[in-house]
Amino acid sequence: MSRLFQKLGRQALGLIASLGSIARFAGAVAIVVLTRPWRLRSLSRQVFDAGVLSMLLICASGLTVGMVLALQGYNTLTRFGAESSLGAVVGLGLIRELAPVLTGLLVTGRAGSAKAAEIGAMVTTEQLDGLRMMAIDPVDYVVAPRALALFFAMPLLNAFFIFFGIFGGYLVGVEFLGLDSGTYLASLEGSVDFFDDVVASFLKSAIFGILVGLIATYRGYTCTPTTEGVSAATTSTVVTASVCILLSDYVITALWGV
Amino acid sequence: MGYGTPVSTAGRDEPHVEVCQVGLRFGAREVFRDLNCEFPRGGISIVMGGSGSGKSTLLRTIGGLQRPDSGQVTVAGDAVTGGSQAEVYRARRRLGMLFQNGALLDSMTIRDNVALPLREHTHRSEEDIEEMVRRRLASVGLEGVEDLLPGELSGGMLRRAALARAIIMDPQIVLCDEPFSGLDPPNVARIEALLVSLNRERGLTLIVSSHHIASSLRMADQLVLLQDGVAISGSPDRLAQSANPRISDFLGPDGRAHAARLGEAGDSP
Repeated sequence: MSRLFQKLGRQALGLIASLGSIARFAGAVAIVVLTRPWRLRSLSRQVFDAGVLSMLLICASGLTVGMVLALQGYNTLTRFGAESSLGAVVGLGLIRELAPVLTGLLVTGRAGSAKAAEIGAMVTTEQLDGLRMMAIDPVDYVVAPRALALFFAMPLLNAFFIFFGIFGGYLVGVEFLGLDSGTYLASLEGSVDFFDDVVASFLKSAIFGILVGLIATYRGYTCTPTTEGVSAATTSTVVTASVCILLSDYVITALWGV
Repeated sequence: MGYGTPVSTAGRDEPHVEVCQVGLRFGAREVFRDLNCEFPRGGISIVMGGSGSGKSTLLRTIGGLQRPDSGQVTVAGDAVTGGSQAEVYRARRRLGMLFQNGALLDSMTIRDNVALPLREHTHRSEEDIEEMVRRRLASVGLEGVEDLLPGELSGGMLRRAALARAIIMDPQIVLCDEPFSGLDPPNVARIEALLVSLNRERGLTLIVSSHHIASSLRMADQLVLLQDGVAISGSPDRLAQSANPRISDFLGPDGRAHAARLGEAGDSP
């Protein structure tokens, strides 16, 4: 029994140490992000890498999610004679919940894991030590632009997900199922509030961007400098960031009703 | 000559880098046990030892990349251990480091890699930087590689490009981690000549980790042999003629040949 408590205690201490370590790391990133020099060229390259190169995936996912949502929603709404509300169901479902969460999960898998692997490979090949020996802070030069890029890219990708999702819903609802186009759009327009729904969706998405950016760069930065270590950092990024997105989604929704 | 105590250097008295009572463990493995050694200003010191003896770790400790459990390292009077990050970065301005695999940023061209410290720490114009990079690359025998990526260079060229980056800010001390490993004899000779010329022409203090005994005996002013967590220091001539079997075993046929040459010349350390 005492061994069980010892094990639990060790794990709890380990968890607290990890949280402390990631908090210090986040503090270091925040300091370099807020102080000059701002590495705008590097940041724009990273936003391109995380954002533009993820667009195809996000647009295709948005389109299919919107189509499925319309199909499922239509079947359910028909039972209650409320198919005219399809636009509202697709729009609100996407804007408030599905777009930020699924964008977060997809970006974690595509860009977050890539950032962790990239930084991990730099650790393994001593590139970060090389920077330190040139008196260049790797958190400033390597980590901050990559973490910040996800903060900027996530809401933009969220917007594309929403747009293509609504378009997918329109395709299925109007073109395939024969719902009136004006009814679909009027229902959408009447139910979605810009501040309560759209702005809140972007805020949620930005929070997910910060989480994924920090987790991915932290895992890469602290990985064991071996091939196995890089692989573990990549896997851990996807698992940890996905769980954090889902948990924080619940917390944000419960606290602010977003 | 005794364990843990520096014996002599090669006529250059003033230590540029001092390692005092440094202890370091990785888990159960003790890497350094009260390690003491000094590296003379303007000299070439070669750190030798078997695999896992701590050669690279010693260089990383001097560069402030590895924090020891105890003891102190000073570079030109500045403490590298125990100081703030700002102090460590100030000490690093005096240091250049050539890593075993070059450690060049693989997404940047050779030009951008070599120019990086200049762009980060100086306000020089791009034309100036371009010219300095070109001259520095030429000084290590590399021309026409500016637009290539590190992955497009051979091992020897990569090492020379990394050396160009290490010396671009005119450091006082250059740490070289296994600069000869994995290179063919012509490239070993080329890097060796480069390092010697840097030392002789620019007065750089070179601290080189290597287990390439022949080149070490040729170029070193001081050898630092790491064994069982402590250091045995001395001139190559003195260590080559040492009666200590652990030293003579480590130096092997190259050491014996060196000692024989000294004997024939009637030279004594």
